[in-house]
Amino acid sequence: MLSPALNAETWTALFQDVQFNSAVLSTLSSAVFSTLLALIFASLITMWIYPGRAWTLTQRQLPIFLAFPHIAFAIGIAFLIAPSGWLARGLANLLEWSSPPQWISIRDPYAISLTLTMAIKETWFLLWIMATLLGEQVISRQITLANSLGYSRRQVWISALLPQLLPRMGWPLVAVLAYSLSVVDMAVILGPSTPPTLAVLSWQWLTDPNDMAQAKGSAAALCLMLLLGLLILSGRGVWWAIKKSYRYPSGIRKQGKPFKSRALLGIPVFIPGWLSLAILLLWSVAGGWFFPRLFPAALSLKSFNNADFEPMFTALWLGVATAMIALPLTLAWLEWGSRKHHGWLYAPLILPSLPIAAAQYHVLLTLNLDSTAVGVIWSHLTWTFPYMLLVLVGPYYSFDARYLCTAQALGHGRFQACLSVKWPMLIRPILAATAVGFAVSVAQYLPTLFSGGGRFATVTTEAVALSAGGNRRVLAVQSLLQTALPLCAFMLAIVLTAWYARNRQGLK
Amino acid sequence: MRTLSIKNLKLTKLDGTPLLGPLSFDIAPGEVMTLMGVSGVGKSTVLNWLIGAPQPMFTAAGEAWLCDTRIDLLPTEQKRIGILFQDDLLFPHFSVGDNLAYALPSETRGRKARQSAIEKVLTSAGLSSFYDRDPATLSGGQRARVSLLRALIAEPQALLMDEPFSKLDSTLRQQFRSFVYERITELKIPTLLVTHDAEDIPEGGNVLELHQVGGVVESVGNTASNLPSASSTWKQSNAG
Repeated sequence: MLSPALNAETWTALFQDVQFNSAVLSTLSSAVFSTLLALIFASLITMWIYPGRAWTLTQRQLPIFLAFPHIAFAIGIAFLIAPSGWLARGLANLLEWSSPPQWISIRDPYAISLTLTMAIKETWFLLWIMATLLGEQVISRQITLANSLGYSRRQVWISALLPQLLPRMGWPLVAVLAYSLSVVDMAVILGPSTPPTLAVLSWQWLTDPNDMAQAKGSAAALCLMLLLGLLILSGRGVWWAIKKSYRYPSGIRKQGKPFKSRALLGIPVFIPGWLSLAILLLWSVAGGWFFPRLFPAALSLKSFNNADFEPMFTALWLGVATAMIALPLTLAWLEWGSRKHHGWLYAPLILPSLPIAAAQYHVLLTLNLDSTAVGVIWSHLTWTFPYMLLVLVGPYYSFDARYLCTAQALGHGRFQACLSVKWPMLIRPILAATAVGFAVSVAQYLPTLFSGGGRFATVTTEAVALSAGGNRRVLAVQSLLQTALPLCAFMLAIVLTAWYARNRQGLK
Repeated sequence: MRTLSIKNLKLTKLDGTPLLGPLSFDIAPGEVMTLMGVSGVGKSTVLNWLIGAPQPMFTAAGEAWLCDTRIDLLPTEQKRIGILFQDDLLFPHFSVGDNLAYALPSETRGRKARQSAIEKVLTSAGLSSFYDRDPATLSGGQRARVSLLRALIAEPQALLMDEPFSKLDSTLRQQFRSFVYERITELKIPTLLVTHDAEDIPEGGNVLELHQVGGVVESVGNTASNLPSASSTWKQSNAG
């Protein structure tokens, strides 16, 4: 895959392409700003509401929105802000417009809607990371301690907590950055189109039959890798400069507002998410719905009755097969693999997905396995396996080794002991990891397209393909199906765990 | 100097069952009051209530006074009470000196003046030349000492200690104990110590033991010393 990109002519052609400069610009701005905004949002929200009832309320809603697929969320947002969307309808009713406004709110040339939507989605992810870090008892005691030294809440966050939390959020931030740099699906739905972002451009070229275009596509994919490297380096540089400019503690205590925990503050974080879900639901059951009415004139199940469920079943069996292969791999690695050297397994999570998916396609071509189910499942595993590992590694390594030792002392072999003692005891995280694996597989867009050679239409690929057309009802139904699959998987995991532990207090 | 007074403290679980109290006692300046009892009896909860740390599992009623100021309604940062936990909780992103500078009141102005004030405190604790050290490179005993210095350099009007000795080995524990009590006597601040190790009780100190009676915790006053304290009053609760 690299060979065409090593040719000087390819690079000249790439740099001279009329679309290249502005594509790089919109890619950089959307990736950098969405990552920064997500970090700022997540930090501010945590500063405002942690700890308290609002924080608890946020934590309760978080899983729903972590499971909300990027694509379905983006489509919901498009329905909200498009010229004939809910926002415009609301304004039209207030200002008595009779036709939709002329604004360019989605696919805007500066990628603003793409940037903001990604920022909101990643805010949820970073809030989740924050929650795991703040869950440590040391942190909550440090807050009390710094308070007792006379510092207000705001000062405690700025001087004592953020300097500790931010470095630990480094890898999650790299993952967010890599995702937003190379995202194709969301950029197709919300991003600029003439020219598109670099990832979309690269993908268009890579799927072009023309050799030169394909070479340019490879080079552009390589560019994404380089950009990520550059951004990580400059991020580290900025952090270094901030640390350098750090001032000596002057001991000045600033009066802050007394902290009042209001549960209602936990809601605004998820308003875009809830609205997006609501509008998807509404369009999926809408009968006639003309501008500027806020609600459909009639509701009907027609869109569901006429819906194509084939993509859902394809996504379902691909996801189940992938998760079922990834699960034994994950368990085997955690039990018998190296504990020290497993950092490299997470590489697919912090690298741009486009170059990886494209490279996989080339491997499949040489193996003559392209457009086969085996090929698609293999490419899904690249992301499913590390995600499952990530979810399971904590509980697995903190499992009390004496249980296994006891079982082995009773005469069971290691594998037998795992099968009858360790894994059943870890049923909750194992099922959760399996559900995550399934959800990750369902959400794959590029790998499904590339490795499947376009022959595997899943809810994900269908939703993106339909987003270009005009039929909102069909699109809403596919987006909802795409959301329903991971949600059902998570619910099933919870129900199965509860059923398994029904007579065992110790497992709950 | 000020006396720390707790008046009619009652702790209730969220479901309404009473956990502790009513409990009233005074701690005189320079006195170390030891709060003892088996785990789960609510010792740390009393401490959390006094410092104002969030505790979602309980509700508290009662008053805390530092001389003429009612402090239980003030936010933690305005109470002027220092706290020492089991863990030293030195901020890992600060040097040893910066940890102390963070606590030193801003009245000591200018980088040089602040640095020399901190050097002086460090030297007095046998930690000279530790100013630029990374807290992570210190031994357990050194960290414990820096942690106490940090709490005291902020000039608190009272001090709370939540099992501050329990993580140290026995030799270190004795050294650190006398280090702590010397300084408290010197500064003449009222101190409340929570522990379940009777060895932690300072010589001549008062002890308040919490016992579970019929589901409600009540206090049994006793003094481990030959110097009965006039400032401590015990109030028995009615379990019925």
